[in-house]
Amino acid sequence: MAVAHTYAPPRRLPRLKLRAFEPWLYLAPAVTVLLMWTYVPLLQAFELSFYEWNMLPRSQPRYVGLDNYVNLLTLPDMKRAVVNTILYTTGLLPLSVGVPLVIAILTSDLRGPMRNIYRAIIFVPMIVAPIVAAIVWRWLLNEDHGLVNALLQHVGFNAIGFLRDPQIALWTLVWITGWKLIGFSTLLFAAADSAINPTYFEAARMDGASRWQVLRDIRLPLLSPTILLLTMMTFLFGAQWSFVYINALTGGGPLGSTTNVYYLMWEYGFMTMSAGWSTAAGILVFTVLGVVSLGCLASMKRLAVYDD
Amino acid sequence: MNRRNFLAFSASTCLTLSAGIGFADAQMADVITQPVTISFYNYNLASAGIGREATLELIEAFEKANPLIKVEPIGAPSNEVLSRVQADMVAGQDVDVAQLVFRDLIYAAEQLGAQPLEDVVGQELADHAGGFVPSGLSLGEVEGKTYGLAYVFSTPIMYINRTLFEQAGLDPDQPPRTWEDVKAAGIAIAEKTGKHGFFPGAYGPADGTFVYQSIVMSNGGKVRDGNTLTFAEKNQADAVAMLRDLIDSGAHARIDVGAHVDTFQSGNLGMFLYTSAVLNRLESAAAGNFELGLAAMPAFGDKPTAPTNSGSAIFMFSQDPVKQRAAWELMKFLTSDEAYTIITTKIGYLPLRLGTLDDPRYLKNWIEANPKYRANLEQLERLTPNIAFGGPNYRQVENMMKDAVTEAVFGTGDAYEILRAAQERAQPLMPR
Repeated sequence: MAVAHTYAPPRRLPRLKLRAFEPWLYLAPAVTVLLMWTYVPLLQAFELSFYEWNMLPRSQPRYVGLDNYVNLLTLPDMKRAVVNTILYTTGLLPLSVGVPLVIAILTSDLRGPMRNIYRAIIFVPMIVAPIVAAIVWRWLLNEDHGLVNALLQHVGFNAIGFLRDPQIALWTLVWITGWKLIGFSTLLFAAADSAINPTYFEAARMDGASRWQVLRDIRLPLLSPTILLLTMMTFLFGAQWSFVYINALTGGGPLGSTTNVYYLMWEYGFMTMSAGWSTAAGILVFTVLGVVSLGCLASMKRLAVYDD
Repeated sequence: MNRRNFLAFSASTCLTLSAGIGFADAQMADVITQPVTISFYNYNLASAGIGREATLELIEAFEKANPLIKVEPIGAPSNEVLSRVQADMVAGQDVDVAQLVFRDLIYAAEQLGAQPLEDVVGQELADHAGGFVPSGLSLGEVEGKTYGLAYVFSTPIMYINRTLFEQAGLDPDQPPRTWEDVKAAGIAIAEKTGKHGFFPGAYGPADGTFVYQSIVMSNGGKVRDGNTLTFAEKNQADAVAMLRDLIDSGAHARIDVGAHVDTFQSGNLGMFLYTSAVLNRLESAAAGNFELGLAAMPAFGDKPTAPTNSGSAIFMFSQDPVKQRAAWELMKFLTSDEAYTIITTKIGYLPLRLGTLDDPRYLKNWIEANPKYRANLEQLERLTPNIAFGGPNYRQVENMMKDAVTEAVFGTGDAYEILRAAQERAQPLMPR
């Protein structure tokens, strides 16, 4: 028995093994990268959120249980940041989806150089470095000597404290973030629009459909995957895109009116050196956004129309 | 290897190793005999223009005088230099000398591992500090030991737009002396010129809390007492309520708290209380635009003012005895008569050594040609150390205090109540 066993298929065994492991072998590089850069840090962040630590190798992390979470949920900063994050996200939607969609549709019928000129003009803000854009906007919007307020006063309005007034500052940052995004979204919409098979339009026109009917019944449904994609991206990343402008222009102020959860996380982690606070905030945001993105994916499956 | 040889070998290895370890703990080297490179983290380098040029000039002069020491300068903005130092330490890089702002003093000493200078350089510290201003060394002290050597620092000073003063019918040669005067002048400027009256650089993201602390301490208050926060107590809160009163009266501007320098430079602000470090910058902006004047910081009635130090100290982080010597030589050079001649004339910081003002080789001729700097120098006699916070949450606590002050001044709620609520929330974050 023992002899038979040792003698039994000496060649097949390794081959069988290899075959079973083959898919894993191909997946290994991707899985390793994913584990190393996403899941392991995620778990470490989760662990760190129960500690008080300033990230210095010489100092020992101190276990504080749920203290970080309790601090976050009881101090007013986080609450304000969450409300602001929702405002940022909803405020960005018209600029990241609505306006670009209209521009893409309106410019799709243009032909020749005019079309490229229009699109180039719309795309330029996208390639301006964010920090440069921030500084230029700060000058333009200054209450005393900014060009925008000079124009407003010239036509008879009062000067507006775009970055000074707590009621307005957040919307100023939403505008700057959106202004940078319009080009990118327009590009995606224009690409999706030109990918629609033109025979649909010809067939519809032959059936006597008006421009509006073509738009409503053919264009918009076929653009729906892109619309939903950009909406989801705005939900998930919108507030993140405004980070540079918060950092460069307001530092979360005036009176905390422009801070959001991403800025708060960065402030805790890198300005106040509290890895625990920052990771606790990160875990909370991760959980909420996880739920939001599951909802988005589900609605995408239900609402999107694909041209199969 | 036989047994005897093995024992001898182990013994010698142990001896060598322990000698090596002992070496690392040894006193700073007396002299430098081999070329050595040290890193120098500096925030003046991260500024465009004069701050950077003057710092590079200092480093060049130092390397010329000490040919064996090479300084590797690393620049980062003042509100980020600590993060940079910390990040580099985490990454295992050698941080030898760093210029850090005073708010990070306790953290640098207790957490970052800054070297206590008395222990490392011994008597040389006292010898070197001989010519410092009276409270010079105490600016960098934590629990009786000097961790930071005061380097480039300044006090809050009142910048005056003389042109606006004249337009408002005020005498720019009689600048406001008390807060009552500031209120009257601010109202006059706002009403007669339509421009802004007064603004302190106390609320913006890059401002720190030195201007605010100066105002509070000039009213006889302190922001903390040991580990107990006191920024909502009587005198402290009264000082903030005074600022709120300036706002309500229209004397204190309501502008973007991050754009005060821009506003003053553009000629739209009459009085600006801020660090003297921006003097050169404001002077060049004012040239051909408006006439710039300087005054001491305003007082609460007859109480003496308590100008605090903004700016920075230099800290030594080197562990290696030779690098410690190199670092100390650099620190001595940067706080020498020669260095302050460059620092004061080019960047606009105060000389830590007042002797330079009477010496024609250093600043005597310059101060005679620029008498307006005297307002700032006179404040040095009353220099009151800025209060840093301790413990792992020190920056959160400081931020909460600053946010509360900003809200008490610009918000709609009761100033005393806002400060009290913030103090209550922040106290649990202080070390016990």
